[in-house]
Amino acid sequence: MVRPDSPHNYPGTLGHKPVAVSFHAAAHYVALRLLEGYIPNEKINLVSYGSPRRRFEAMLNGEADACVVMEPWITLGEKIGCKSLAEGHYLGAENASDDMDAETFAAINRAVGRAIDMFNADKRKYLHYMIDAPDFAEVAARYGGVAPEDFHLPRLRYTKDTYYSQEIVEDTYNWMVRWGLLSETACTANLVENRQEAPVAVGD
Amino acid sequence: MKKVVSEISGIVFSIPWLMAKDYGLFADEGIDMHFVKAQGDRENRVTFNPEEVDPILGHTPYEDKMVSIYRA
Repeated sequence: MVRPDSPHNYPGTLGHKPVAVSFHAAAHYVALRLLEGYIPNEKINLVSYGSPRRRFEAMLNGEADACVVMEPWITLGEKIGCKSLAEGHYLGAENASDDMDAETFAAINRAVGRAIDMFNADKRKYLHYMIDAPDFAEVAARYGGVAPEDFHLPRLRYTKDTYYSQEIVEDTYNWMVRWGLLSETACTANLVENRQEAPVAVGD
Repeated sequence: MKKVVSEISGIVFSIPWLMAKDYGLFADEGIDMHFVKAQGDRENRVTFNPEEVDPILGHTPYEDKMVSIYRA
């Protein structure tokens, strides 16, 4: 995302320009995935600012040419005229400690799954959780705030736990190794224990 | 009721969890859910070098075993 008056209108002009991210977080990885399709790796110039608020403010005040943020910051940015140059999605996951038993984890997932069903049935009804989050609301108030009607609902994608294929694990692993984000000594085969059944293709 | 403590980080990642607590969905499953905020401001230094940023980021409550689950 770039400022309303930014000369940038697509990612191809961001070579050597500072792009605000948070290193080792989704904003970092999504930035690389989006920018590597437009500019050579050596011209990608990421700067870690930490929280979404700091990334957003670094973009607005001109310290960075662009920032990588998620909702509700995208909605706020678009409301005040900022331009989205590219949009990427990634897979989020729950990370439980070794001492959490399977029954508790399943119970938690059932409860969260019911909440996901509720949210997906009427997304705008529950956007107040984002709009009223203190760190966001404080910044949004400077620009007149945002309302549920301002959000692009298809961008909000909550799904229940699903099969995570070995192919996706290996594709992601190889991409991270290529960027030096993961040691090659890590073993892909031991990273994921799938408890979900693989989907069966129609006709099988 | 089984007590579980979960980390809450970015709000966009947390909505179903907050809803599950507010609407009694965890309680329906016998879970007494508590939330601890991630230390999101812990890694706010401005740097061009990824090696200067701890990859644990704000998930210190998990690393310190204050919570048993988090999202990323």
